[in-house]
Amino acid sequence: MNIIEIENLTYSYPAAESPILNHISLEVEKGDFLAVVGNNGCGKSTFCKTLNGLIPHFIDGDFEGTVKVDGINTLESDVATLASRAGYVYQDFENQIVRPTVLDDASYACLNYAMEDYEERGRRALRMCGLEGRENDYIWQLSGGQTHLLALAGAVSLQPEILILDEPIAQLDPGHADRIYGVLKELNERYGKTIIVIEHHTEYIADYCRHVMLMRDGGIAWKLPTGEALRRVEELQECNIFPPQVTIAAHRMKREGRMTPDAPLPTTVEEGRRAFGGLRYESPEKKASESSMEAESAVSFRDVSLSYRSVKGEDYRVFDHLNLEIRKGEKIALIGSNGAGKSTMMKLMVGLLKPASGEILIGGESIRKKKTEDLSRKISLVYQNPEEMFIKDSIEADIAYAMQVRNVENYRERTEALLERFRLLPLKKRDGRLLSGGQMRRASLAIGVALNPGILLLDEPTANLDIATRKEIMRTLSDMKGITETVMIATHDMQLVCEWAERIIVLCGGRVVADGPRDEIFGNKEVIRTVGIRPPEIFSMGRALDEKALCYTVDEFLEHFKE
Amino acid sequence: MEGKTKKRLSESILDKFSIDFLRNQVLKNAYGNDDTVIARLDPRILLVWYLFMAIVPWFVDDLWFLLACFILVAATTVMARVAGLVLFIFALGVFSQTGYLFIVSLFFGGNASTIFPLLMLTLKVATCSLASITVFSGLDPDRLSNGLQWYGCPERLSFSISYAYRILPMLMEEFQNILLSYRLRGNPPSRETLRGKIRYLAYQVKVVMLSFYPLMLNTAKRSRTTVEALEIRGYRYAAVNKAVKKIRLSSLRAGANDMMFLAVSVFWICGAVLVSTLI
Repeated sequence: MNIIEIENLTYSYPAAESPILNHISLEVEKGDFLAVVGNNGCGKSTFCKTLNGLIPHFIDGDFEGTVKVDGINTLESDVATLASRAGYVYQDFENQIVRPTVLDDASYACLNYAMEDYEERGRRALRMCGLEGRENDYIWQLSGGQTHLLALAGAVSLQPEILILDEPIAQLDPGHADRIYGVLKELNERYGKTIIVIEHHTEYIADYCRHVMLMRDGGIAWKLPTGEALRRVEELQECNIFPPQVTIAAHRMKREGRMTPDAPLPTTVEEGRRAFGGLRYESPEKKASESSMEAESAVSFRDVSLSYRSVKGEDYRVFDHLNLEIRKGEKIALIGSNGAGKSTMMKLMVGLLKPASGEILIGGESIRKKKTEDLSRKISLVYQNPEEMFIKDSIEADIAYAMQVRNVENYRERTEALLERFRLLPLKKRDGRLLSGGQMRRASLAIGVALNPGILLLDEPTANLDIATRKEIMRTLSDMKGITETVMIATHDMQLVCEWAERIIVLCGGRVVADGPRDEIFGNKEVIRTVGIRPPEIFSMGRALDEKALCYTVDEFLEHFKE
Repeated sequence: MEGKTKKRLSESILDKFSIDFLRNQVLKNAYGNDDTVIARLDPRILLVWYLFMAIVPWFVDDLWFLLACFILVAATTVMARVAGLVLFIFALGVFSQTGYLFIVSLFFGGNASTIFPLLMLTLKVATCSLASITVFSGLDPDRLSNGLQWYGCPERLSFSISYAYRILPMLMEEFQNILLSYRLRGNPPSRETLRGKIRYLAYQVKVVMLSFYPLMLNTAKRSRTTVEALEIRGYRYAAVNKAVKKIRLSSLRAGANDMMFLAVSVFWICGAVLVSTLI
């Protein structure tokens, strides 16, 4: 039975010149788990909003064709009726939550639609989404992943047959991401819900989804079973979608003639085991690692303790006698789950937070007595949320600001040079907030290095970006290795960690639980398990074939696994 | 030596009075005390009680009666476990209104006839403000808005109250981060001399004002999703539906505790009136 039937849908936003959705026809079976993929701006979100009636009932525009959801023609219905057929979770889900407590928010829609048993429905939705026991908590007590589950529960409470999620895991650490997909899988298999996700992470698509739909220029290129879809490597890459690393590796092997041309490409590690079964691992010769022990100290933490005030009860202790040494010239990745203390550590280094006890030294000098504005020439922090760095009305003014107020000579030329370097020249008069995700991120990096600091701290530079933009930022970061001596990145992005970092520090509950080069961290199963790190897929693939294998990129995999 | 301790003291006060501290106090005030006796009372009863305490004292000039009212609201304020900052602002407010006159007149040989009216005025202001503090910060915003709605306040108002509390923590965090951007990248005047200190203060005020502009823009950007989500979640539908209001307000129930609270208040006030007529 088809739960969604779309015939010849064409839609354009008010005052737009060309339609964003162009002659779309589609059928989705009840109980499907469908991934929608496509380039940025190809109409994925717009498409999803036609399913719950926001288009055309709330957002105007030219609407042609018919959309039938659970047997109802959306044109002849209204948003209220459709809300109980198709639930929607936004990409910026925290803005979707409007009530102060968990149960209240979960049952809010039911109350609004005058259902007598609204509270019971809210409770049931929370149970289905794995938030049982948090009913009376306040929203700000939840972690990012739990907030997302709550947004999902809010949609589930109306008991819709269809659930639509716009990039559910873009902002989450791997542990939370797995949990979200676990809940979706259960909703799909146990409760028979039809699930539609807009998703860039093809490893998750391979693990969880049944069908994949590729959108291109406002139309549907195809809808295929997941395995078949992910094997269309070239077509996907043209649309800036990166198939699972396992698939890419096999695809390249085929091209190089190392695999039989008619063997199907693997899409998961499990399939990879069979496909790559005949390969043998040749461990690379160990390069003598140059010792950086002699390098000067850039930042050192000595017995640092810090607590946060909490609203209720005891203060929350983030660091308890933390000791850490960061040396000049190091490229460090700081990893650990949400709330492990990564951002706090960075704020301590730039002097925005003062430790309750202990000392932080930068270049051998204690920063306790230093003013924040003097520190900023030595060390600079780029926030996770670039919007909060835009304090002027154009990115040009934003980049120039710190230099201008410090009367840096020829700051105009320097600003121009930075705009050029970060490919922002054509955008320089625009307000930072109105740029696309990748442009915004580049602008915030340019602001961060404006004062030429010796140490640069980046908080989640690749969060919230689609994979193509992420690759672009990773390129920018590699380019920047020359500009700034010491760089530290806090991130969940293990591909970034593996390709970029020379030293990895693992934080867990405010303690450094592991610290070393990538072989030492990823080779340590104990650490990976306790901290919940999800290594890049190709690394797990290598490990599955040979216990000793340590390959972090597709290139390394192809190089070290031989017939 | 003395200078050093003084400096440290002023530093620690400045340290405490950060946006972070403000945020914490606001949250504490709104949600940190939902397990007190006051927070569990029926909001409708509390609103009636509040109207009495906020209006009646202005029309009475009896010292015993006013003292009794003051003691009563002081007791409820303690019971509501109001956050420190709010009490501090209250003390400052009362003092700047009338308290300083009271002290000044004491110093300049004022006698009972000058002090007495001032004392009355101070008591009235204090009673009224403490009653407001008890009700508006002792009750959590949601119960308060339910109570207001029961008395016929429009649904928009009560939604705004609870929504304001929902986004306040987010807004304050964002505001704090924007201020931090200014701190990291700005170059404030040095604050060694007295003139420098004044210039520094002026600079800080300017930065706070400038920070509102990015804050507003960021909020506008966020609200797009919120508006769509409210539509999906039936906000507009509920606003015109009588049944929804009935369901929402059916959770309000006046129980034994509420009656007890009213009885104690009435008994106490009656006692005061009795005492004052006897004397």
